[in-house]
Amino acid sequence: MAIVTGSRRARKLQAAAVYATLAALAIAFLFPLLWVLGLSLKTRPQIFADPPLYLWWPTLEHYADVLSRADFLKAFLNTLIVSASAVLLSLGVGVPAAYAFARFPFRGASLLFFGLLVMRMLPPIAVLVPMYVLFTKLGLATTRLSVVLAYSTFALPLVVWIMRGFFEDLPKELEESAWIDGATRYGAFLRVVLPLTRPGMVAASILCLQLAWNDFLFAAVLTNNATQTLPVLMAGFSGGDSGVDWGAMTASGMLVILPVVIFSFAAQRHLVAGLATGSVKG
Amino acid sequence: MSQSSNAVPSPLVLPARTAAPPRHGPGRLLERWFAAVTIAPTFVVMVLVFGLPLLFSLYLSFTGWSLNQQLLGGEWVGLANYQDLFDDPVFIGSLGITFGFTAAAVAAQLGLGLAIALLLNVDLPHMRAFRTALVVPMMITPIVGALCWKLLLDPSHGVFNHWIGERIVWLGMPGTALAAVWLVNVWHSTPYVALILLAGLRSLPSEPREAAAIDGASRLQMFRHVTLPLLRPYILVALLLRTIFEFRAFDNIYAMTGGGPANSTMVLSMFTYLTSFVRFDFSLGAAASWLMLLMSMLMCLAFIAVIRRRDAN
Repeated sequence: MAIVTGSRRARKLQAAAVYATLAALAIAFLFPLLWVLGLSLKTRPQIFADPPLYLWWPTLEHYADVLSRADFLKAFLNTLIVSASAVLLSLGVGVPAAYAFARFPFRGASLLFFGLLVMRMLPPIAVLVPMYVLFTKLGLATTRLSVVLAYSTFALPLVVWIMRGFFEDLPKELEESAWIDGATRYGAFLRVVLPLTRPGMVAASILCLQLAWNDFLFAAVLTNNATQTLPVLMAGFSGGDSGVDWGAMTASGMLVILPVVIFSFAAQRHLVAGLATGSVKG
Repeated sequence: MSQSSNAVPSPLVLPARTAAPPRHGPGRLLERWFAAVTIAPTFVVMVLVFGLPLLFSLYLSFTGWSLNQQLLGGEWVGLANYQDLFDDPVFIGSLGITFGFTAAAVAAQLGLGLAIALLLNVDLPHMRAFRTALVVPMMITPIVGALCWKLLLDPSHGVFNHWIGERIVWLGMPGTALAAVWLVNVWHSTPYVALILLAGLRSLPSEPREAAAIDGASRLQMFRHVTLPLLRPYILVALLLRTIFEFRAFDNIYAMTGGGPANSTMVLSMFTYLTSFVRFDFSLGAAASWLMLLMSMLMCLAFIAVIRRRDAN
C-alpha cells in the first residue's frame, strides 16, 4: 500500500515479512509441480528410492520414451487439431457478432447476450448428456468434429465477450468516415475495424486455446482411442495403482502442461479479463 | 486502446475498390440487415450446440429412454425420473456434498486469495516474480495437476507419507479423500481470486485511504473500514464466479477419487457423469443435469445482477 507509516526499521521489517510470506506461499503453490518435474527426471529406481532423492543427475529417458510413443504423439496431434479448430470456428463466428453487439444495438441483444453468459457458466456435464446422445444418433460421436462443436460452448461466448470490449474501445469515427467514403458496412468492418482489433483476437485466441487444451470432460466422453486428446490420455494413467508407470506418467504430464503454461504467460495480462467475462473489458 | 492509434488508416487512402454503397437491390438489403447477418452465425451455433441439446435433455428427463431407441421414441413418464432422483440417497447425499464442498472451497479461495492479493499489492520490488509464481496452478491442465497431487499422496511412494513416516491411504478414506480434493481445488483456483482482487485493489481510489491515514487510522482499521468496503464489488464478483465454477467441479475429483470412497466425494457433476456414461441411464442423467442447470441459472442471474449494479455505479 502506498501509505507509509512507522520508522525506517519498521518498514524494513515489514518488507522482510511480506517477502517471507510470499516466498512460503510460492513454494507451497509450486511444490507439487516441481516435485513431479523432479520425478520425471529420475530413473525408475531413483523414483522409488526411500528416502526420496533430493539431489541427483537428471535423466531425460522418460521424455525420450514418451515422445517415441505413438499414442502420445497421436493425442498431442488430436489436441492441437481440436483446440485450434475450436478457436478458429469461434473467432470466425463470434467476431462479427461481437462487432454487431458493440455497434448496432438490435432488439433482443441483451437476451442473446444473457444466453451467451449462461452458455459459458453452465455445468458442461449438463450440455454433454444430450450432446452425446444427439451426436451418437447423428453418427458424429467419437469424431474430432464433435469435440470442436462441444468446445464452442465455452469458446464462442469468450470470443464474443472479449471482442465486444475491444470493438467498444475503438472510436466510432473510424467506420463513419469509411462509410462516408463509400465503404459498405461489410467493407468498413473487414478493412478498417478488424485490422485494429488484432491484439484482441490474439488475447481471445490464447484464452480459448488454454481452455480447449485443458478440457477433459468433453473429450473424455466424445472421443475414442483414435481421437482422444492429451488430458484423456493422462487420465488413463490414473487407473490401476500398481501398474502405473510413474516415469512415463510424470514426463507426459510435464509435456502436456508445457505449451499451456507458455501461452498462458503470453496472455497473463488478459487472464482476469477472460475470467470475469463481461465485467472487465479486455 | 492506445497501441492501435498509430495504426489508424486515414479514410482518404481507403482502397479504391470500396464501391459506393448500393442504393438498390439485394446489396441495399444486405446493408440494412448488417446486424442480423453478423449475428446469425453465432445464433445458429448457440441453437445447435446449446439450445437444442438442452431442450432435448428436458425431453429426455420426462421419458424413459435408452440409447437403442429412436431419438423421440422414449415413453413419457412424467416426473418419475425426478422422483427417482429424490428417492436416491446417493443423489441426496451428492446435493449436500456439492453445496458443502462448494462453500468450503470458495471460502478458502476467497480468504487465501484476498491475503495473497493484499501481499502482492504491497509496493516493493520484484512483486511481478511472485505474482508469476503464484498464478501457475490455475494455468495448468486440471487433470495433470490432480495427478501430481495423487502421486504426492500415494500411500507407499508418496513424498507426504514419507515425511510424516506413516502409510496413510489419503484417498481411501472418506474424510481425508474429501479434504484432499478440497485442497487441490483450493490450490488450483485461489490464483483466480487473487488476480481479480489484485486488479480491484489496484483500481481503488487512493483518496479515502489517504484521508484515513491523516485521521490516524491504524493499519487494521484502514483495512476493515476503508479498503474492504471499497473492495466489496470485486469480492462479490470473485465469490459468484468461483461459486458457479466450483459448483460444476469435475476434473480433479474424477482423477483423484472418481466420486469414492463410499460416495464421499460424489459431487453432482460426478453423479450425473456416472449415471449417464457408466450406467447409461440418460433419462435419469438428463433429469439430474436439468436440476443442476436450474441451480446454476439462479447463480448466473445473481452474477448478472451484481455486474449490472456495479456497472451502473
